[in-house]
Amino acid sequence: MKNNRLTIAAQAVKSNRQLMAGCIGVLALLVLMIAAPLISTEDPTIYGPDVLNGLGENGHILGTNHLGQDVYSMIIYGVRTSVKVAVISAMISGILGVLIGGAAGFLGGKVDVIISEIINVFMMLPTFFLILLIVALFGNSLTNVMIVIGITTWPGNAKLMRAQALSLRERVFVKSAEAMGETKRQILFKYIIPNGIFPVIANTTLGMANAILTEAGLSFLGLGDPSIISWGQMIYAGKQYITSAWWICAFSGIAIIIAVLIFYMLGDGLNKVMDPRYNKRRA
Amino acid sequence: MKEILRVEDLNVTYQTKSKSIYAVRNAAFTINQGDSMGVVGESGSGKSTLAMAVLRLHDEKYTEITGRAVFDEDRDLISMSQTDMDELRWKEISVVFQRAMNSLSPVHRIRQQVEDIYRIHEPKASREEIRERMISLLKLVNLPERVYDLYPHEMSGGMLQRTAIAISLLHNPKLIVFDEATTALDVVTQGQILKEIVEMEKTLNMTRIMITHDMSVVAESCNKIAVMYAGELLETGMVKDIFKKPCHPYTQGLIKSFPALKGGHHGKLTSIPGNLPDLSVSCKGCIFADRCDRAEKKCFEEKPSYKAMQNGRNVACHFAEEM
Amino acid sequence: MSEKPYVSVENISKWYPYKGDKLINHEKKFIKANDDINLSIQKGEILGVIGESGCGKSTLGKLLTRLETPTAGDCLINGVSTKELIKNDMKAFRRSVQIIFQNPFDTFTPRDTIEQILLRPLKNHNIGNSKEERRKLCIERLEEGGLVPGEDIMKRYPHELSGGQLQRISIIRAMLLDPEFIVADEPVSMLDVSVRAEIINMLLDLAKLHNTAVMFISHDIALTRYISDNIAVMYLGKVVEYGKADEVVNNPGHPYTKALISNCASIDPDDEREEISITGEPPTPLDPGPGCYFAPRCFMACEKCLKEYPDKKNLSDTHWITCMNAE
Repeated sequence: MKNNRLTIAAQAVKSNRQLMAGCIGVLALLVLMIAAPLISTEDPTIYGPDVLNGLGENGHILGTNHLGQDVYSMIIYGVRTSVKVAVISAMISGILGVLIGGAAGFLGGKVDVIISEIINVFMMLPTFFLILLIVALFGNSLTNVMIVIGITTWPGNAKLMRAQALSLRERVFVKSAEAMGETKRQILFKYIIPNGIFPVIANTTLGMANAILTEAGLSFLGLGDPSIISWGQMIYAGKQYITSAWWICAFSGIAIIIAVLIFYMLGDGLNKVMDPRYNKRRA
Repeated sequence: MKEILRVEDLNVTYQTKSKSIYAVRNAAFTINQGDSMGVVGESGSGKSTLAMAVLRLHDEKYTEITGRAVFDEDRDLISMSQTDMDELRWKEISVVFQRAMNSLSPVHRIRQQVEDIYRIHEPKASREEIRERMISLLKLVNLPERVYDLYPHEMSGGMLQRTAIAISLLHNPKLIVFDEATTALDVVTQGQILKEIVEMEKTLNMTRIMITHDMSVVAESCNKIAVMYAGELLETGMVKDIFKKPCHPYTQGLIKSFPALKGGHHGKLTSIPGNLPDLSVSCKGCIFADRCDRAEKKCFEEKPSYKAMQNGRNVACHFAEEM
Repeated sequence: MSEKPYVSVENISKWYPYKGDKLINHEKKFIKANDDINLSIQKGEILGVIGESGCGKSTLGKLLTRLETPTAGDCLINGVSTKELIKNDMKAFRRSVQIIFQNPFDTFTPRDTIEQILLRPLKNHNIGNSKEERRKLCIERLEEGGLVPGEDIMKRYPHELSGGQLQRISIIRAMLLDPEFIVADEPVSMLDVSVRAEIINMLLDLAKLHNTAVMFISHDIALTRYISDNIAVMYLGKVVEYGKADEVVNNPGHPYTKALISNCASIDPDDEREEISITGEPPTPLDPGPGCYFAPRCFMACEKCLKEYPDKKNLSDTHWITCMNAE
């Protein structure tokens, strides 16, 4: 039966071009991540003798920066940072959102009122400012950045999951599970979450694109993790040389745009395919 | 008696990307003036498809309709152009759907909607004229005059369904199709509306097709019945004959699965084992053979033709006479 | 009825607070979905509950299975209060009372196979010692219920099965826990006519085999008469008539029951019935009374009917109504 699900998934991917492009893009990013040492021409952490070389100069395909690092290799290694930030922060946000929103919608009553208010408070806070504040207070390691992005973006997912749980708990199969003597925890994890998680997955994937942008934004402001190669930091460092060495900013900027687009297409494609109005067979 | 609708060899095929679904096959029946014919069948039997084909309400891009449906002795509904059909609908043939309440606009009074509908066919009609006509119809379905000035949300389901029936009668159509029009109503309301319909017919000499899954609705309100299964009409004839002595094994099975309201228990309820056949495969023998308990070799190999029996009854079974 | 009832419903009520026009009207209003219901069911008996939509028959089913908490009253099974039971031992209560729902297409989660669906309650209630043993039990029960081959059915997902098959699995699952009392809430109204009978017969046979008390909720009077030993007729959250199935249908006492039966479509075209029409539409159960709830629509209503709710009146040892005018 697993086979059956796989074919359904394959059909869904085929039916939507956006999703298809997103999937291919993510596969490409994964290949870049794993095979970075093979694809890159140099170790990007080495400060070489060639400073601010232009395109193609001394064998540097995309030139070098002010410290003599190879821009091409930096961009390849930068994939690792971006994907890591995207996946981990989106996972944190997704898991928090599903658990908190699911519990609020399913349990209802006072729990729901309190959680809904917390969600509203979080949604009203200016997220980027909050992230800045926390990074400034607790230091700017990559781990901190990921956690901070995760815990500031969960309310959107929680709202979605809560709405799903609210409608699912009136469905007959939830009532019948209750009548069969299943506990509230079992119902939440076996019925509410598996049946209501799809919009959250789609939303989380869209959130990955935002996470990449947020990380790049933080780095651009100089609040990124300095011991790591990231596209945002490349722009941050390159902006002083933008007139003399435009390639540093330009190519890392393009890399950010491409990565964001890939996750956006994946998320939006998933959103469309999982929408019951789009795909009537699953109704 | 004047013929209102004669359907001959009607076929409806749905085209999907990968296959064609033969939803109605070789349907044939005749309805005379003043008749009320119940088309009964289970879900997926094609009873609604049949009615929609006669009314030409299908999306013609994906549906292929062949055969003839002669209306009022001279016009063929199937080969007619859509514009001619538009002219005919409401005026000479009207339809009442299961959830007719949803077909009324919630932000307009009944009055406004009735005026709009009436003027499609009679653009010059005056307000007073329409009002008079509608109020006389509301009386027929036992509704008070004030309904004319109400909004749909101010009425109950039964009142809305009655209003929908009254609206369908605006132009005094020659034929009315009720597509599960009483299914969603309560027992008492359904019973009353059925009685009103039967009464009304006597006064207006109306002709009616009643599509339903409920045999008892047909028994209660129709004089003719057509039993449909998997896209084919298996037995057609007078209600009195067929309920007394059903000749097709499927009709017999259906009647046996309804318990009687009064009298002694007629033994254990029985059901028809098996499932509907796949409608995308054309069937060589009798369509019902694989669920029939008296099927013989012949039934699987040769399609039974309609056997005409007394009182205009037609039965598609090799063993109709032996039943 | 000298023996002690097996299931006894005592003064059960469910009132929902009404939230409309609070600004204008400060008086607290209630929607009385169920109001002071008393019924009893013997072991192995099938009680039919009939009424129109909105009369509270489904609410009653949910109250008895504690999917909703009653505002007042209790239900005793074999002398044990289920109110106490659910507080002290939720699992024991769930084992003893089961419900079968109207919509078989939505009774099972679409993400799990029938195997997962059937094994979960068995594991929860510690029936069977090993997974293998539970599996064997499920397959055996499936095949007894005519779902052959059981092995194959176990691997399917709910959307791959027909409504009739799903409803049978629903009944089988309820019976797996060996309940003492089953509520069947319109179990066949969404199924095709030709498969109804087999579902009904299966339910009847299983109930007889295990000597289970069954409450059969339906709007189909003919079907309810066929199935039930006794019938209770509900109107606006109240039971207005109760008696042996044949007595109630052939000889209805309450004017509402009379109207209901006279308007019920019958399969026999020659069937002659008393013509009774009731006026108006069923009102909402928002603060009905103080008189008889049916009085505003009743063809027999008199002055007194509008003032006080009629007492129970016995027509025979096994048949009672709440109407002061009926003889």
